[in-house]
Amino acid sequence: MKKLITFRVNDREYEIAVAPNRTLTQVLREDLNLLGTKEGCGVGDCGACTVIVDGKPVNSCLVLAVQADGSDITTIEGVARGDSLHTVQQTFVEMGAIQCGFCTPGMVLSATSLLDKNPRPTEREVREAISGNLCRCTGYQKIVEAVQEASRRMKK
Amino acid sequence: MKAYNVINTRLPRVDAKAKATGDARYAADLAMPNMLYGAFLQSPFAHAKILNIDTTAAKKLPGVRDVVTAKEAGLVKYGVSPARYDEQVFCPDKVRYVGDEVAAVAADDLETAMEAVSLIKVDYEELPVLLDIESAMKEGAIAIHDDFPGNIGAEVHQEFGNFEEALKECDIVRTDRFVNKRQDGGFLEPQACLAHYDLNGNLTLWTSTQSVHYVQRSVSMVLGIPIGKVRVIKPYVGGGFGPKAAVNAMEIAACLMSRRTGRPVKMVFSREQVFLHSRARHQFFHELTTGVKKDGTIVALKNTCYLDGGAYSSFGIATIYYAGSLLGAPYKLPNMKYDGYRVYTNKPTCGAQRGHGGVAARAAWEQQLDSIAAELNMDPVEFRLKNIMKTGDVTCNDFNMSSLGMKECLEAVRDGSGWSTKKGKLPAGKGIGVACGFFVSGAGYPIYRSETFHSTATIRLSEDGGAVNLYTAAAEIGQGSDTILGQIAAEALGVSLDDVKVHSGDTDFGVDLGAYSSRQTLMSGHAVKAAAEDTKRQVLEALSEKLNISIADMDIAKGVVVFKNGNPDFSQLRTAYIKEHRGWEDLPSGGELTFREAARIAFLTRGVIIGNGAYKPGELGGKYKGAAVGTSPAYGCSAQVVEVTVDMETGKVTVDDMTDAHDCGFAINRTNVEGQMQGSLSMGLGEALFEEVRFDEKGRVANPSLGEYRIPTALDMPNVRTIIVESDEPNGPFGAKEVGEGAIMPTIPAILNAIHDAVGVRIDELPITSERLYALMKGKRRK
Amino acid sequence: MLLLPKFDYEEPKSLPEALAMLSELRGKGRVIAGGTDLIVNMKKGTVKPACLVSLKKVDGLREIVGENGALAIGSHVTVSQIAESDQVASAFPVLARSASGLGSPLIRNRATIGGNIVTARPAADLPPALIALGAQVELRGNGKDRKVPLDGFFTGPGSSVIEPGEVLTEIIVPAAPPFTGGDYIKLGHRAALEIAIVAVASRLTLDKPDGVIVDARIVLSSVAPTAVHAVSAEKALMGQRPSEELFAGAASLAVADCSPITDIRGGAEYRRDMVNTLVKRTLLKAYHDAAGVKGGGA
Repeated sequence: MKKLITFRVNDREYEIAVAPNRTLTQVLREDLNLLGTKEGCGVGDCGACTVIVDGKPVNSCLVLAVQADGSDITTIEGVARGDSLHTVQQTFVEMGAIQCGFCTPGMVLSATSLLDKNPRPTEREVREAISGNLCRCTGYQKIVEAVQEASRRMKK
Repeated sequence: MKAYNVINTRLPRVDAKAKATGDARYAADLAMPNMLYGAFLQSPFAHAKILNIDTTAAKKLPGVRDVVTAKEAGLVKYGVSPARYDEQVFCPDKVRYVGDEVAAVAADDLETAMEAVSLIKVDYEELPVLLDIESAMKEGAIAIHDDFPGNIGAEVHQEFGNFEEALKECDIVRTDRFVNKRQDGGFLEPQACLAHYDLNGNLTLWTSTQSVHYVQRSVSMVLGIPIGKVRVIKPYVGGGFGPKAAVNAMEIAACLMSRRTGRPVKMVFSREQVFLHSRARHQFFHELTTGVKKDGTIVALKNTCYLDGGAYSSFGIATIYYAGSLLGAPYKLPNMKYDGYRVYTNKPTCGAQRGHGGVAARAAWEQQLDSIAAELNMDPVEFRLKNIMKTGDVTCNDFNMSSLGMKECLEAVRDGSGWSTKKGKLPAGKGIGVACGFFVSGAGYPIYRSETFHSTATIRLSEDGGAVNLYTAAAEIGQGSDTILGQIAAEALGVSLDDVKVHSGDTDFGVDLGAYSSRQTLMSGHAVKAAAEDTKRQVLEALSEKLNISIADMDIAKGVVVFKNGNPDFSQLRTAYIKEHRGWEDLPSGGELTFREAARIAFLTRGVIIGNGAYKPGELGGKYKGAAVGTSPAYGCSAQVVEVTVDMETGKVTVDDMTDAHDCGFAINRTNVEGQMQGSLSMGLGEALFEEVRFDEKGRVANPSLGEYRIPTALDMPNVRTIIVESDEPNGPFGAKEVGEGAIMPTIPAILNAIHDAVGVRIDELPITSERLYALMKGKRRK
Repeated sequence: MLLLPKFDYEEPKSLPEALAMLSELRGKGRVIAGGTDLIVNMKKGTVKPACLVSLKKVDGLREIVGENGALAIGSHVTVSQIAESDQVASAFPVLARSASGLGSPLIRNRATIGGNIVTARPAADLPPALIALGAQVELRGNGKDRKVPLDGFFTGPGSSVIEPGEVLTEIIVPAAPPFTGGDYIKLGHRAALEIAIVAVASRLTLDKPDGVIVDARIVLSSVAPTAVHAVSAEKALMGQRPSEELFAGAASLAVADCSPITDIRGGAEYRRDMVNTLVKRTLLKAYHDAAGVKGGGA
């Protein structure tokens, strides 16, 4: 039986009826049309579906939408403000941290929540923070450099 | 060196913002009104006869709109090489691997489609399962394909020079064996597609592919739809690395069901289906015999290779040739003998993956060369330098090194890594290793025999001159081709990258063989450059008529017209332009005639300005059988030095440091070149240390997930000291050639050589997991 | 795409309500906490509950409470909370270490300590450390609330003494005696997103900094159907003066205390060899901490 849930996604309130067997990934993509959240594996192995739930980045493929009732959620669509990119997005763009882009939404969300918690991370801390987000294209180096550069710029 | 405005820079990618914000749409993100969802029924058996298929219950399920099997799909065979078309959309009579497609369903939603799939009843008669090359080649083994009784689907026998004779003059002769494991592309985006067959009989297929061209031809051929009515569009693609270079059954099935139902049909692979579909790196069994003189001159190489191909051919014919032809260079080698066999087995089909065909061979040989250097008591770098090819050299199999910065690469990594202070001087458990490699810069011939252009490009200027629309069917799959081609167009036309809108990956935009064999920069780049030059010529011709200045005295750069003999009076032109654009706020001012004004004049005098370009390689060397595979207009090359730490008590290898130098001819975008290098090294590191697709005794993939098939995480990959070498390739646009695949070549052997330096064991089997290395060290201690 | 089968979902507002619900479901209900294991298994079809019961609205399951060196950890405390808790890090660094190596940050933000215990996976990260620390778990339900030691809680892969209708609510980690140190080492293929090939948690207590071993606990993971004590190795350490030789001897005894199998992650022989290596290493670190740190170091 469907359940009525309410949650905030990217600062907007939603009230929707969802079947319990639908994941947060599915509801974000199919009901809310927030297609920036990607599904790469469906079982928490790749991190492409990362969203921020109540301040923590999680694999949305392993969260039931009903479990997110009452939560505050940020998806990649909620990171930029209007046409002005978040500093992390800006450094990703400038520094070549993006190739195929399929891991990028998840990477950006893992990186922004790291910087929220730890504005001056070491390289090791950056690598740890994105260690649940697989990237097959970049070898991670430019992603790590972009997060560190964002950290420097945000400090100013 | 010439000064450029747009190329050889670090401009951000044209698609980066869309990707950073989640706006970029991939195939699984697409939807259409009234769309159906498709699902496959795939074989649970590795080898079985199909006795009967009963779809009655599936068809009766409410919400099911179509159920198709071989009966509905027909029996047309397809594949990659026309000589080995051995696939059918659905198996009519027997299945050949776990995952072979038997039927498909289209329904109102995915849940219903999957439920319907579970209601299809298939009677199978199990056949003997051949899971390795030994059992497949055994006398009396059942034939997986009736046309190939011994299960050898393809073989190659080549000899250049005279191996046996040459061996007689060698002082050191060494034979080693090496085996890698089947690997997976590991791209993050599972294949997905959306097919729409409309009322006018036009089929549009959006799909996650590396080549819209080959998909278009295959769909047209298999479904009997005139090619002019088949349009294939590639949205953003989340990585390919080879496995997405050929058509897949999902694409054809979705088109078929859309045609039958008149509704759009979407299909998406699960991650497990990605593993079942595979088409990734083969398992190679190499035996290499190399003969060297005591002064260190490499004289002869014999390479015997068996490939475990899986159930169908896919790219396998090319793979087996590459496994032989990509050795020799970058070293001078006068005598080379190669025998290769690709064997059918009841496993998912292997195909192309980054460094196609050459990666395992390269790992084997570069490791053997290190052993030989040790026997010669020569430094491995010195030994390689002694034998290295240079620009202008031609290999014994007729590959022309029209540019080759191999020496520069090797010296750069030697110096950049501190090789001489480290080699042989690191403490126990730490080691340093080096290796080299090279790769084609685009396959010299298409997959089917044809005189076709390999790439075409069209540029259409907007009527006010404000936009340069570039149309190409080239495939941006993450490697950056949209940006590279946009930069080439901008540079050649004399405008900024911002002025160029890149429209790519669509068969309606022209012909392009796609993103494989590292061909987009060189081949599509040539076509784009030609189109831009054609466009520029037309604009200047129009201007020449108006201003009465010879074309030779004009040029376009940085968005303005350059008059070599000083600016003429163009006030009339400007006044006219301004009159035409009353009320506009971005009107041209200043002392230069802008490209926008010039383009407007061209439009007013000649209509829409369309520039065309097309490219195919000129006459390439090699007339022997198989010369088409490995022949290329240019060759990229690279050298790497890797440092590792081996935990002697667990066997765990940590890669501490990597130094990579790659000769890409000329870097169109330096950031992109580095990105390709670093990404290649990361894939190589994964294949060296972790990656292996495994099977159970029934032929099922035992680890069809990114949890148990391990690609490196951010914590496994070190930073790479990335050195770009530019050799100015005469056959490349602006001197550019490949970087996408060649960069992976030295990685595995450099790691293996570093492990040897650290702990003194040689590795003949990949991946070198902690367990495997520990066992080798334990074995050595026992001796 | 992997789809989940159909099931019901309930969010009882109190524990008694939850227990009544589970009892009514007669084994067809499952508690869902973080879901990082359960949802994967449901997608794969290996677990098929008719109803998931979430304790999200039940108070008191999400706190770490310290008292006199002991910790009471609510079953719904996430693995991240444990990995990042100063309280855990100072009182029981072994537990913090095992938590910070579980899966990935994304998994740790959802996975709970209770979930990591009740799924009873032979390679689970937290149980070895918790067993070495002498943790107890509180089980409520079926009208008989009880506390059981985690040691002995597991009965096989996927099974434990927990009964249908029971809910794990709290994990109690008793205060460590003075001059105690410990270590947890997990050996995996990659540096993250890994399930252990072998993991070892050890704890040593000395009678005084330069004294003899008065308590030794070595728990081996991924080398038997459940996490197991290296019984003979522990015995060999008791009353002995610490030394590298002693630890090497104990490590080789530990090899006989486990019964590894060959599976997709590693071979039995390698696992035995790694038990040897990891026991030696964890003991050495445990000893250094015990001798160097006054008070509970593990």
